Amino acid sequence: MNDGAFIEFLVIAIGAGTPLVWASVGEILTERSGILNLGVEGMMLVGAVTAYWVAVTTGTLMLGVLAGALAGAALAGIHGVLSIGLRANQIVSGIALVILGSGLSTYLGSGGDDPLSSRALDAPFGQLLPDALADLPLVGPVFFGHDLLVYGSWAFTAAAALYLSRTRAGLEARAVGEDPAAADAAGITVNRVRYVHTLLGGAAAGVAGSYLTLALFGSWQDNLSAGTGWIAIAIVIFSAWRPLRALLAAYLFGALTSFGFNLQLLDVPLPLSVLAALPYVITLAALIVLSNTRASRRLSAPAALARPYWRESR
Amino acid sequence: MAVDTRAASPRRRRFLLEERPAPSVALSAAIAVASVVAALFFGAVLLLVTGEDPLAAYEALIDESLGSPVAVGLTLVQTTPLILTGLAAAVAYRMRLWTIGAEGQLIAGAIVAAGVALKLGETSSVVVISLSFLGGMVGGILWALIPALARAYARTDEVISTLMLNFIALSLVDYLIVDTVSLWRDHTNLSQPSGALLPESVLLPSLFEDANVGILLAVLCAVAMAVFLRKTVWGRDLAVAGDSPKAARYAGIDARRTIVGVMLLSGALAGLAGAVQVTNVTFALDKAALSPGLGIGYAGIVVAALARLDPLAVVPVAFLVAALLNAGPGLDLVGVAPAVVVVLQGLILLMVVGGQFFLSYRIRRPLAGDEGR
Repeated sequence: MNDGAFIEFLVIAIGAGTPLVWASVGEILTERSGILNLGVEGMMLVGAVTAYWVAVTTGTLMLGVLAGALAGAALAGIHGVLSIGLRANQIVSGIALVILGSGLSTYLGSGGDDPLSSRALDAPFGQLLPDALADLPLVGPVFFGHDLLVYGSWAFTAAAALYLSRTRAGLEARAVGEDPAAADAAGITVNRVRYVHTLLGGAAAGVAGSYLTLALFGSWQDNLSAGTGWIAIAIVIFSAWRPLRALLAAYLFGALTSFGFNLQLLDVPLPLSVLAALPYVITLAALIVLSNTRASRRLSAPAALARPYWRESR
Repeated sequence: MAVDTRAASPRRRRFLLEERPAPSVALSAAIAVASVVAALFFGAVLLLVTGEDPLAAYEALIDESLGSPVAVGLTLVQTTPLILTGLAAAVAYRMRLWTIGAEGQLIAGAIVAAGVALKLGETSSVVVISLSFLGGMVGGILWALIPALARAYARTDEVISTLMLNFIALSLVDYLIVDTVSLWRDHTNLSQPSGALLPESVLLPSLFEDANVGILLAVLCAVAMAVFLRKTVWGRDLAVAGDSPKAARYAGIDARRTIVGVMLLSGALAGLAGAVQVTNVTFALDKAALSPGLGIGYAGIVVAALARLDPLAVVPVAFLVAALLNAGPGLDLVGVAPAVVVVLQGLILLMVVGGQFFLSYRIRRPLAGDEGR
């Protein structure tokens, strides 16, 4: 692989990794507050279809992203009511969210006389910075050639990392995720913190979905996330609930996803089905290998993850 | 959602909650019915908002799934694999093993079952059917093996590992049908990749309209599971281990063995569902037709949850969900996108998950004069 091809590979990896960055950093915020939301895939799909519908209808991409984020947050709100308010099983509630989101997005995307899948976007998100920067050798395409949502994901990751480690609110969120009873005793409203972080995670998943339709594919196709939301949850585990590590892991997975297509371009004699399975095989292998190490998920996971908190029950 | 979240706030003691000991069967059933009704209500809201007529849609839904003997027969055909994947989810969830791998295990089971049937060809039906069904279970077990061992020995999160294998199973079908000229591929027409037609000797005897005796087999599995869980030592060990891992350890129950055993049993049931589907519904390895709509594996989770993980309750609930699945394509006739059926399943599952609260807790108001809502 020559330099040009390598740069192109990196650029593709960042493109494919960006929805993973949004979704996994958002999920980190949710999980750090002690709520496990497995519904990322569903929130992404609903975010993707809503964003596309709004962008196609209004012609404004940013309105689409906003709508996508709101749709993701709305779905996360359901999970919040169930898992925080009603102390429901968070795993099954998350799975329900995926089923609902997948059905809802297909319904909204395929229904009507003029289905969304056949309507075209004026122009998807494009390069944000001027060519003068983007055309610089090496650093240009890797750092300056992206669209707004890629830079947004960098800002979001940095903000999430600083928020969790450097701010009082972030500390409170972590306290709620580690020991809600102690946090409660310290005067933190546990459930409010959890609702806020669940909604934030949902909004981020909605933006991840918006990125799929408004930037990466530029169109709506049924079920276009194809498991990205689940891989994002795996990334949360790999990254040990740290935003910056999640960013790197997301690009690694983006690279591996696009690796398949690159192999195909290089005439590596692997059938398409094998290449398509590659990201899932790698996620599975990484999950098993990493869970068996000393830095096991149980050592780094928020201690109260997926456990409802109820003061009266104490 | 019309749920009063004030009950969740620890700061306002407007409600007193107390744990309900064991909910009665009547209450469980009432809450299951209420979950479905609430899901249908929210589904109707969605239909209204998107400019459809909910009554017409629901009428078509009932018509398509239960309106005629033919429709009932087709619903029974759908019920068979749903009972099996419902049992697969129920047995695992009882043990708090949150597998969502039934979809992949179903496909793996279908692959092996179809392979066995194709290899054996037109011979004695008894031999072909029993060996291919056995093969289906083996396929499901093989597909569950990696997540089971990883969960037991490396504590690998089973939710994601099983899900990844669902995607890998779909790719495996593509590999066998599209990318290679395998045993499973139709060799007579290579220009259009499709699965080879299975021999007729693998067909189960017919029972009622389009339904075959597979439904009896599935019901038998449900009964066997109920007996197994209630009457055998290992089954009761499972109940203990599911309720409290700590108690299980003191009782000398090997947690690892239990995890592997339950996940493989779950895989075998899902694999059997795949065998029934491929031999008696799709007649060839075809990934889209094998698991229509949401996917029979995922729908099994809805079935198990609505049945409150009770093997016997899985049977009627599977019939209900099958009716829903079966009606999907028919909704097209009244101009409603069939995906609304998937939406309804998601809503049902959400309502069931939320309804669990009312089974576990009793809500009381501490003050008589509380104006409430």
